Amino acid sequence: MEFEFLIEGAPRKISLEKKENTFVIRDGETILEAEIRPVSENELMFFVGGRSHRVYIVRDGERKLVFTGGRTYAVCELRQAAGRFLGGDEKTPEGGRYVKAPMPGKVIKLNVAEGDEVRKNQTLVIVEAMKMENEIKSGIEGIVKKIHVSAGDLVDSEKPLIELEPKRSAKAMMEILDK
Amino acid sequence: MFKKILIANRGEIAVRVIRACREMGILTVAVHSEADRASLHVLLADEAVPIGPAPAVESYLNMERIIRAAHDTGSEAIHPGYGFLAENADFARLCEKEGLVFIGPNSEALELVGDKVRARQTMEKAGIPIIPGMKAIPKAVTEFEAAAQSIGYPVIVKASAGGGGKGMRIVSEEKDLRPALEAGMREAKSAFGDESVYLEKYIEEPRHVEFQVLADNDGATVHLFERECSIQRRHQKIVEETPSPALDAGLRARMGETAKKAMRAAGYNNAGTVEFLLDQDRKFYFLEVNARLQVEHPVTELVTGVDLVRQQILVAAGGKLALKQEDLRQRGHAIECRIYAEDPENNFLPSSGRILFLNEPKGPGVRYDGGIYSGWEVPIYYDPILAKLIVWAEDREMACRRMAAALDDFVILGIHTTIGFLKDIINHPEFRAGRTDTAFIRKHFEGWSTGGKDEDKMRLALAAAAFAEMAAAARPGGVPGRGTKQDALTPWKTLGRWRIGGAGSHGI
Repeated sequence: MEFEFLIEGAPRKISLEKKENTFVIRDGETILEAEIRPVSENELMFFVGGRSHRVYIVRDGERKLVFTGGRTYAVCELRQAAGRFLGGDEKTPEGGRYVKAPMPGKVIKLNVAEGDEVRKNQTLVIVEAMKMENEIKSGIEGIVKKIHVSAGDLVDSEKPLIELEPKRSAKAMMEILDK
Repeated sequence: MFKKILIANRGEIAVRVIRACREMGILTVAVHSEADRASLHVLLADEAVPIGPAPAVESYLNMERIIRAAHDTGSEAIHPGYGFLAENADFARLCEKEGLVFIGPNSEALELVGDKVRARQTMEKAGIPIIPGMKAIPKAVTEFEAAAQSIGYPVIVKASAGGGGKGMRIVSEEKDLRPALEAGMREAKSAFGDESVYLEKYIEEPRHVEFQVLADNDGATVHLFERECSIQRRHQKIVEETPSPALDAGLRARMGETAKKAMRAAGYNNAGTVEFLLDQDRKFYFLEVNARLQVEHPVTELVTGVDLVRQQILVAAGGKLALKQEDLRQRGHAIECRIYAEDPENNFLPSSGRILFLNEPKGPGVRYDGGIYSGWEVPIYYDPILAKLIVWAEDREMACRRMAAALDDFVILGIHTTIGFLKDIINHPEFRAGRTDTAFIRKHFEGWSTGGKDEDKMRLALAAAAFAEMAAAARPGGVPGRGTKQDALTPWKTLGRWRIGGAGSHGI
């Protein structure tokens, strides 16, 4: 069986074929024969060429989190990943940008008003979560088109805080990037 | 000795105190907010009392409800842990008034050292070296500006009631002073309920070295050596160790005696910590007293062999300090790493959510102090500390290796944690050489991200994901569960701890 995954931001193909008691793993030029033994619901043992590896795996929504050798990887099947990115809600219909809180918290302070020009990396809003203040910065150079929240509001990471309209030059560049 | 203690805290420290009580044959009462209904400390305690909604001001900082819970459960003493009410003199006084023993310093000493400005005055009078700074809390911004001018930039804004880096801001020029004061006051207000801030001279790239002190109610005082806590982010300690690579026997003895003198000057009893800054010329300055059990107390426990929580309880119950200064020794080396629910690759933003899988490291010389379990949802309302990993070994080099290996074995899936970041700190050549100061993270770890690609591990991860997909497809009617659901709902966890023969039969 062939799989196409997204891992560390890049697509990768891997194939896994059952062959009696073992599995043949094909990853580009590399071919390995491995015995794979589920130890518990979240734990697999891989026996490859005389060595054993312990792998922990859990499902997290549409992706899987895989831990091995001290590293955690988020692995997502490419068709699911594609759906996720195409349905992406970062952009406004006019080609602007929604600014969102990276995690749920409370709006402490708005540093900008509608109509303000903002530089890249300028602090737009301060959101407090887990008792620390976090500065939410602008990813682009642009104009504040709309502000959806006010100080004291509780926010989650889904709804936009602010809508930004890119400056003309930046807008042109973004259109190119988006293609 | 007490028969029952209420723990006015949550997370790993509440769990730590509950464990000490259990070993001493003392019953425990947990208090919890609505968000902590299923938290580990609640599951482990003998009794649990809900004390209000999720926000700390309505629960863990609500003195009245905590006192009432203590009375209702027949508790004789309250252990405040760290943070929340641990250094609140009003609370200590209220306990005293209500006939409850506050496991910490007496309210007068707490009030004195908790007020950073008065503490500085007291220490200065006692002949203890202090950092130049303001000696009173001003009202107007202009007074701050004038003070900053006379102290000289850079200055640091500090919360008077503070600790843990909350409310702190470094200011290198006048134009940044006002926003720093505003932010500092807001953070101080929300963390401690007191917005008072003051200014101090900012000493560049110092080491942060603190001394653990224990004193009984009759004034017998010992110190249990130092902890080096120079590895900090946003003024928050993240790696601590003892002994400090910067001290020799002479300096250690001088600082230890100064720490004892500071505590005596403050009329202090129970466990406390005297923090010093050690500058590049090895001059030390009194910074503040942390009038509580510290997050990093385990490193001291591992090298001295003293159980600090047990000592706190013994002393609070009126016991005489059995430890003698001349008998105390530092043996081997201990390091602690704090595991936070933060994303080190995304500006350390707090990461809340469900812990889908947890497997803590084990092995000789490895200690794990945690407040979490698989399936538990990390709430957004509190400090993001999840657990502490502490190792002991014969010397510093071996302790570093042991820590690196233990971090490698530490699995937390579902939320972002600082484990990978900590591993790179421990393996950094400057850390290995013991060259640590408070600017270490800024100097060596700005813009950090997980190190290069590891093709073998990645291939294994992909193969595991593929195997899981195949297994799911093969299973009739099902994809593999989140695994942890089952774990979270297992009756063994939801039932909590049982004592055979009922609550009274402890100490068999």
